[in-house]
Amino acid sequence: MAHARVSRRTFLTGTAATGLTLAASHGRPARAADPKVLKVRSYVNLETLDPAFRLSAPEGDIIDAILLGLVGLKLGETWGWERDAALSIEQVDPTHIRFQLRPGIGWTGGFGEVTAEDVKFSYERIANPATKSPYRGDWAKLDRVQVTGTHSGVITLKEPFIPLWTTTLPTTSSALVCKKAVERMDGQRFTLDPGATCGPYRIRKWEPRLSVTLERNPQWTGAPPPFDEIQALAIVDTNAAEIAFEAGQVDVTHVPMTSVPRLRGKMPANATLVARPGLTYWWLGMQSEEGIFSDIRVRKAVQLAVDVKSVLDGAFFGVATRSNGIIAPGLVGHRERNLIAGPDLEAARKLLAEAGHPRGFKTEIGARNTPEFVNAAQVIAASLAKVGIQAEVVPFDSGVQKAMASDKAGGWKKMQMHIARFSMQPDPSWATVWFTSAQIGEWNWERISNPEFDQLHEKALAEVDPAKRHAMYVRMQDLMEQSGAYVFLTHGINALLYRNHLKPAFTPDGNRMVLRRFQLA
Amino acid sequence: MPAGPRPPRGGPALRRLLRDPLGALGVALVTLVVAGAVLAGPLSRADPTALDLPARQLGPSWAHPLGTDHLGRDLFARVLHGGQVALQVSGVSVGLALAVGLVLGMLAGYGPHWLDNALVLAFDAVRSFPTIMFALALVTLLGPSILTIVVIVVITSFPVYGRVVRTQTQSLKTYDFVLAERALGARLGRVLGRHILPNVLGPVLILASMEIPVVVTIEAGLSFLGVGIRPPTPSWGSILNDGYTFIRDTPWPVLAGGLPLVVTTLGFTFLGEALRDVFDPTLRHER
Repeated sequence: MAHARVSRRTFLTGTAATGLTLAASHGRPARAADPKVLKVRSYVNLETLDPAFRLSAPEGDIIDAILLGLVGLKLGETWGWERDAALSIEQVDPTHIRFQLRPGIGWTGGFGEVTAEDVKFSYERIANPATKSPYRGDWAKLDRVQVTGTHSGVITLKEPFIPLWTTTLPTTSSALVCKKAVERMDGQRFTLDPGATCGPYRIRKWEPRLSVTLERNPQWTGAPPPFDEIQALAIVDTNAAEIAFEAGQVDVTHVPMTSVPRLRGKMPANATLVARPGLTYWWLGMQSEEGIFSDIRVRKAVQLAVDVKSVLDGAFFGVATRSNGIIAPGLVGHRERNLIAGPDLEAARKLLAEAGHPRGFKTEIGARNTPEFVNAAQVIAASLAKVGIQAEVVPFDSGVQKAMASDKAGGWKKMQMHIARFSMQPDPSWATVWFTSAQIGEWNWERISNPEFDQLHEKALAEVDPAKRHAMYVRMQDLMEQSGAYVFLTHGINALLYRNHLKPAFTPDGNRMVLRRFQLA
Repeated sequence: MPAGPRPPRGGPALRRLLRDPLGALGVALVTLVVAGAVLAGPLSRADPTALDLPARQLGPSWAHPLGTDHLGRDLFARVLHGGQVALQVSGVSVGLALAVGLVLGMLAGYGPHWLDNALVLAFDAVRSFPTIMFALALVTLLGPSILTIVVIVVITSFPVYGRVVRTQTQSLKTYDFVLAERALGARLGRVLGRHILPNVLGPVLILASMEIPVVVTIEAGLSFLGVGIRPPTPSWGSILNDGYTFIRDTPWPVLAGGLPLVVTTLGFTFLGEALRDVFDPTLRHER
C-alpha cells in the first residue's frame, strides 16, 4: 500500500483549499431541519435532573418536560399558574391547600399511577433537612402533606406563606418524583435517571458534556407531544450558540443582549427574535460599613453622579430599560419610580465637599469578569470621573466577590463599590431576602442593616392582602435607596431566537423554555 | 585547561545584524512597536479611555484610523497606549527576572555544592508550576493589576535565566583568569561582578530579548481573560477580548488587538534569533 506523503507544500495547499471551500459555503442557507426534532441550546452542561439538586435553569427545563407538578407556570407575558397534574387545587385557609390528582397519569418503568403518596414524598423530601436540598427554602414552611386518598391530599403549612403560589408550587421545586423508584436509589437521590418519569417526554440518551435527548413517553395519556425528539445541546458560549443557530444546528437559543441591535437590523432567515424584560436585577452597590462609603454623603453623591442612561446605552446597547428597584414590572411590589430621578452633578459635588472630598477620591468598582459587567463598570467610572471620583474597574471571577463578602477575617473590608446582578423568581420576597441584616456576611454586600426593612420582609411573607403586600415592598425599596448604598440599574432582557416553524413557549421573562409546551406553528 | 572565552568574530555586531534579512526585519518591527509606544501621545491625540457612545463601532476614518470600539473609544489610541503597557510590563518584569536569575544563577554556579543543589531544586520546583494555573491563582489572591502580572512573570521566568547563568558560571569558574583572580585573594563579589558577570551577560540578554514576546503574550492573555490590566487602561488583550465579543458587529477591534501582538512577537523573535547568530555563530546551523 502506498503511503501518502504530506509535505509542507501539500499541507498548506490542502489547508487553503479547505478554507476556500468553507468560505464559499458561507452564507448558504442552513440545511432544512427535521421539524419533528426540536434542538434547543443549553448554556450549561447538564449534570443532574433531580428537582431537589438541580444546578441550572436548563436542567429545570428538561425536568419540567419529563416530570409533572401539581401546577405549572401559566404561559404568556404575565406571571401566573395553571393546573398540571392536579385535577383541582385550592387554598382552604392560610395554611392548608387541598389537592386532587388527575387519575390515570402513569409512571414509566411499571411503577403504576402517580398518587398522592408521590406528592407527599416529593415535597417532604425537599423540605427534609436531612436531604440537604439547596431548594429546601422553597418548602421551608411545609409542615406535612397529608394523604387523604389515592389521588387526594392536603398540604399543611407551618404558617402562611404567600410565595408558595408564585415560586414554589409552579416551579421545578414542586416536580413530582416516583416514590417507589427513588426509594430504591442509593441515598434516595439521582443524577440523570429519575427511575421513572410521568411527563409527555422521557429520557432517551445522555451524552456527558454534549447533549440530553428526550423522546415521546409512550405511556403519556394526554395530548400527544408534537416532537419525536427534543435534543438539548450544551453550547456554553453565547456567540457560538448564535452561530450554531445560523448554521441550523439548534432551533432555539438565548442570544446575548449585545446581539439584539444587530439581529433587529438583520435577522437570520426564517427566524424570530423575542426580547422580554427580565426579572433579574442589576445595581451598583457600595459597602457602607468600613471605608470611604461609610459616610452616607459620599454614597448619596455617587447616587447623584451616576448616569444610568449612559450605562444602559453603553453596556446594554440601549435594549434594556432603567429599573426602579429590585422588583421587576409585573410583580407585586414593583416601584413606579426611583426617588432620585437622574444625575445631578452639582448636588453630588456639594455632598462630596461636605464630606471632605472636594476634589473627589480614588476607589474601585468590582465587577464580574463578563462584557456586560465590565462595560457597565467602565461607563459608571466615566460618570463618576465628572465629579472627581477616580474609579478603577477590578474584574473578578464569579464567586470571588461572594468569597470576599463572606470572609470572616475581614476580606469584605476591601470591597468598595461593586456591580452585581442577582437572579430572581416571580415573587418579591426573592429579591428582598438578600438585603436583610441576616444576610450580612453572605449576600448583603452593602452591609446595610435596617430593622424596619427586616420586619417588613418577614411580615410581607405572610401578608395575604396584595395591596398591603405591594406597599410593604415599595417601602423596602425606598429604604434601600434612602440608605445611599444602591444605584438601581436595570432588570436586563432575555433575548431568544427561534425558527418560524415553531410555536415556542417561554416564561414571561424569557428566561426559561417550557419545552413540553413547544408546538409546531 | 581552557584559556578563556573567545570574542565573537566578524565585523561590528549591528552591521552583521542588519545584514541578516531576518535580523533587519526584526529590528524594523521592534523599532515600529517601540516607536509607536513611545510616541503614543503625539501620534494620536485621542484619549484612549474617553467614552463616546454615539460614535461606537465606527470603521476606520481619518479621525479614527482603526475605528472605534463598542464604547466609542479610539482604537488607534488604545493600540498605541496598549503598546506602552505591554512594553512597560515586559521590560520591568523581564529586567527583574533577569536580575534575580543572574544573582541566583551565579551563586549556584560558583557557590558550594549544597547551595547549587538547593537553588537548582528551587528553579525546577518553580518551573514545574503550569504558568497559566499559577497566574490565575495569583490573580485570585492579589487581584488583577500590572504589579500582579510583573510578579507572575518574575516568579515564572527567573529560573530560566538562573539555569543558563549557573551553567555558564560553572564553566567560567575553571578558566585561567578566574582561577588567577581567586589565587590573588579576590573576594566573591569581585570575582562574580568583574569577571563572571560580563561573560554571562551576553547569552542571557539574547534570552531576555526572546522572552519579551512571551511576556507580552502572557500580559495580553491574562487581559484577554479579564484578569490582567484593569479597565479602562488599554491593553492589547482586552482590546482583543472586546473585539471577540463584538466580532459579529465589526472586525476592526479584533484586528486592532491582534495585529500588534503578531508584529511584536515576530519582531522580538526575529531579533533574538539574529542576535544569537551574531554573538554565537556556531548555533547558526543548529536552528
